[in-house]
Amino acid sequence: MKQSTRRRLAYGSNATLVTVMVLGALVLLYVLADLYRVRWDLSEGASNTLAPETLEKLRLLDADGEKVTITAFTHQAGKEDTFFKDRAVRDLLREVGENSRVVEWRQVDFDRERLTAEKLGVREYGRIVIQRGSDRVDIRDREQFRRVGKGQDRRTEFVGEAALARGLAQLMTPSRRVLYVLTGHGELDPEEHGPNGLSELVADLDRERYDVETLDLLRTDREGELPTVPEDAAAVFVARPKAALSPNEEDALLAWIGRGGGVLFAVDAGVPAPALLDRLGVTVADGVALQPEMQVPYTDRPIPVLLPHPITNDLREDKLAVILAHPAPLVLADPVPTGLRATTLLRTTRGGWIELGGRLEGGMAVYEPGIDVQGPVDLAVAIEALPGRGLVRATKPAARIVVVGDGDAFTNALVADGPGNARFAVNAVHWLAREDRRLGVLGSVGRATEVRRLALTRPELGMVRAISLGLMPLVVVLVGAGVWLARRGR
Amino acid sequence: MISAQGITKRFGGFTAVDRVSFEVGRGEILGFIGPNGAGKTTTMRVLTGFLPATEGRAVVAGHDVFEDPMAVRRRVGYLPETPPLYPELSIGAYLRFIAEIREVPRGERTRRVGEVMEQVGLDGWEDRILGSLSKGYRQRVGLAQAVIHDPEVLILDEPTSGLDPAQVVGIRDYVRRLATRRTVILSTHILPEVEAICGRAVIIAGGRVVADDTIDGLKDAVGQGIRYRVELRAPASDGPTLARRLAGLPGVERVVPLDEPGDDGFEVFDIRAPADPRTAVARLATAEGWEIRAMERHAATLEEAFLAAVGRER
Amino acid sequence: MSQAWAIFKKEMRVYFVSPLAYVFLGVFLFLAGLFFYMGISMTGEASLRVMLGNLSVSLMFMLPLLTMRHFAEERRSGTFELMMTAPVPLWALLAGKWAASLALCLVLLAGTGIFPLVLAYYGDPDWGVIATSYLGLVLTCAAFVSAGLFSSSLTDEPVAAGLIGVILLLPFWLAGNAADMVDSPTLREGMRHLALLTHVEPFTRGVIDSAHVAWFVLFSFAFLFLTWRSVESRRWR
Repeated sequence: MKQSTRRRLAYGSNATLVTVMVLGALVLLYVLADLYRVRWDLSEGASNTLAPETLEKLRLLDADGEKVTITAFTHQAGKEDTFFKDRAVRDLLREVGENSRVVEWRQVDFDRERLTAEKLGVREYGRIVIQRGSDRVDIRDREQFRRVGKGQDRRTEFVGEAALARGLAQLMTPSRRVLYVLTGHGELDPEEHGPNGLSELVADLDRERYDVETLDLLRTDREGELPTVPEDAAAVFVARPKAALSPNEEDALLAWIGRGGGVLFAVDAGVPAPALLDRLGVTVADGVALQPEMQVPYTDRPIPVLLPHPITNDLREDKLAVILAHPAPLVLADPVPTGLRATTLLRTTRGGWIELGGRLEGGMAVYEPGIDVQGPVDLAVAIEALPGRGLVRATKPAARIVVVGDGDAFTNALVADGPGNARFAVNAVHWLAREDRRLGVLGSVGRATEVRRLALTRPELGMVRAISLGLMPLVVVLVGAGVWLARRGR
Repeated sequence: MISAQGITKRFGGFTAVDRVSFEVGRGEILGFIGPNGAGKTTTMRVLTGFLPATEGRAVVAGHDVFEDPMAVRRRVGYLPETPPLYPELSIGAYLRFIAEIREVPRGERTRRVGEVMEQVGLDGWEDRILGSLSKGYRQRVGLAQAVIHDPEVLILDEPTSGLDPAQVVGIRDYVRRLATRRTVILSTHILPEVEAICGRAVIIAGGRVVADDTIDGLKDAVGQGIRYRVELRAPASDGPTLARRLAGLPGVERVVPLDEPGDDGFEVFDIRAPADPRTAVARLATAEGWEIRAMERHAATLEEAFLAAVGRER
Repeated sequence: MSQAWAIFKKEMRVYFVSPLAYVFLGVFLFLAGLFFYMGISMTGEASLRVMLGNLSVSLMFMLPLLTMRHFAEERRSGTFELMMTAPVPLWALLAGKWAASLALCLVLLAGTGIFPLVLAYYGDPDWGVIATSYLGLVLTCAAFVSAGLFSSSLTDEPVAAGLIGVILLLPFWLAGNAADMVDSPTLREGMRHLALLTHVEPFTRGVIDSAHVAWFVLFSFAFLFLTWRSVESRRWR
């Protein structure tokens, strides 16, 4: 072989090899960089950074390994906030996708990709569908965005991360659980769709993976045994019975509490309260709690103060109001019986009182010292019965009980009106069912982000147009012409 | 200083340069001549390291061009066929740039640029834009960029092509002056240029070296020395007789009758002799009564050498 | 190093005395202004996201035109011979040219600096987001300039070099859109990693992610390396 050919071959093959190797090394470096990432979020309030709670959920999903598909449908074109809403969702899902190996996401044009919408049975704009295996969780537009501020300052805020984290948490709940609603005393009806029914709440609970079933503790079963609360119960909901419970029923509930079970009591003014509340240190007082300084306009429905507790924390954070209708005042025994720990969840302001009668002023009840009782008045309480201290067997966990002085709070009418009612109820069920980890998620995860508006008047817009389309190019043309003139003839 | 050892350059199947070897010593000006397409430019590009040789080796200023290109580049000034100018730049900016990349020390750059511009006759032209220069001035700038770093070796590819006669003289003078301390290779197809400034020439044709000698040596190879041309008329004798008589003169080696057409009766002869035979011819002519119209000393030209060399090759 | 600096200065000088740079700057700023005006008049938001997103795509078509002359034009005019016979290491030549093109990009981007000022005058933009957006654009320019240099090293014809440059970059743009149409998740994921937008987008939201920075740096490096190879190959071919 001639020297020349050797030289070319040697250099040529070497070069090709080296080139391929270097390019391979670069790809490898990128793979490493992709695995070991460092991120800085320099946006104001680090609005792109997912909350630790969300990241935790994603980490758990990754560890599990099963694919998660998120399909987000676009919002209605032409509406004021459509552009931002779609973008906010997209940005959020991008972050989620970046932070997970199992999440695949897609934003789907609701108007164009009708087939996808049909297939998922989605009939509204802005819905997000999360699927994992055969499980599915939907997030509606109203859960992702909320209107805040008043008048001129009214604007839309995006709280989708919280909603999404909640959805992911639901997906990860291993199995569905059952909430039993006591029946037989004219309780609120889970299947009723009217204003006094519970169907909206049941739907929300369904998405939180709770089945709602009725429980009849009145009738004995075929063998003549006394009825008991089923072992699979997540909690029992005593939904404002209009008649007193029978001793057998009370015993069954006490036995359930003795096993560390959870019970949600809804009572109301004017209906008999279950007798066993006494043993829990709660008395339902006579009268109705009023709070004119903080109530829904043109009604006497109070908006109570939320006190800190796992059930109320995220409502407090998100400033979501719970609306009650003519709640019965609750009085906690002082001191609380031993073995119990009581926390007030809802309470009137200091200006509230227990209305016990007397005159009306302009059709409205007023506080009359001597007749009425000065507030603040407790309206909902959470109680923990510690094991081995009377009520609960020593081998069982602490039993949890929530008492709410208003049954209406759970009805379709108030769930629709009160921004926080459904969340309050769902949180209460989570707490009672010991799904504590889902309470954290239900909390305000991720900050709410809002649009930075640039409201320009017509002349201002004209000015901007002149600067951006005219001034800058003109400056360049002038500089260019200057250089050309200076060089001409040299 | 320059040693080409069997340089071959092939482009695909075409052999542009074929086993070219020559040496150039320090202080020498080598003319590199050949017809267009002979491989001059390719050879020079190999010597500068711009093109790698397919075969063979080139050593310039003590460094192998292929193995140690940077050392060679530092020691060589190169003017390609078309001066490598950036038309957007001014002469001053261009030469300062060249001084920078040619590693002229920072403190000396301005001085060197000034010196070189003066040497090539560009003083006062600092701000002229290269794109607007005429061919002659471009060539001067090209020359200036080749010498700005005071290289040991200068490789000039057709430095005077396209220049007017006055400019040609100027450039030639400049190259001659440069050569006092440097080794210069200069390619051209203008033969008088080689005669004017080169001590030696390599003739290349068809990619091969066909002659490599001093200028005189090349001429000698063609003309075997000097010829004398005489034109005589002898009413009494014919051509062959005259030739015989001339050949009989002492010291004359050969007489070649030239067919000069004409009916005026004059015969033309080429006489080859080591010593000038003209007085002897004149004496003979006077004695015989011949008429002499002309007697010239005739040196062999490089054209003849060139054509002969190239022709031999063909 | 000093030679890279010399090359850099020379390239900058060549850029700024030729009308090309001004035509380029003018067109670029006009487009930027158009995108800016469209962005704020259509969305009513004090943000540069619309403008910057569109600009990064425009740059893909424009920057190869800026870099096309580098090797192609030098080869054509013979100055390439000068560079290759001067004692300039190839890396210095590449570094100088790359840095000069990038510096011109910085000038282009600096020209759009008026728009954040307009936003700040009328509204309350998120400065963190604007800063990272510009960082993203600079990285994009660095990557595009490298690819442009490579395309310029492939041919002697500047216009062809420009076209090759655009064609070279197109797949990186289209990969993002094409990824959504691919069914295989692995392939889709791979295409997303290839896609320019995947790596630009986080910057427009205020996020600096080391992986995306690495993508741009490695992309630039890869094409600079290929350019080096392409020019170097003349030494032994």
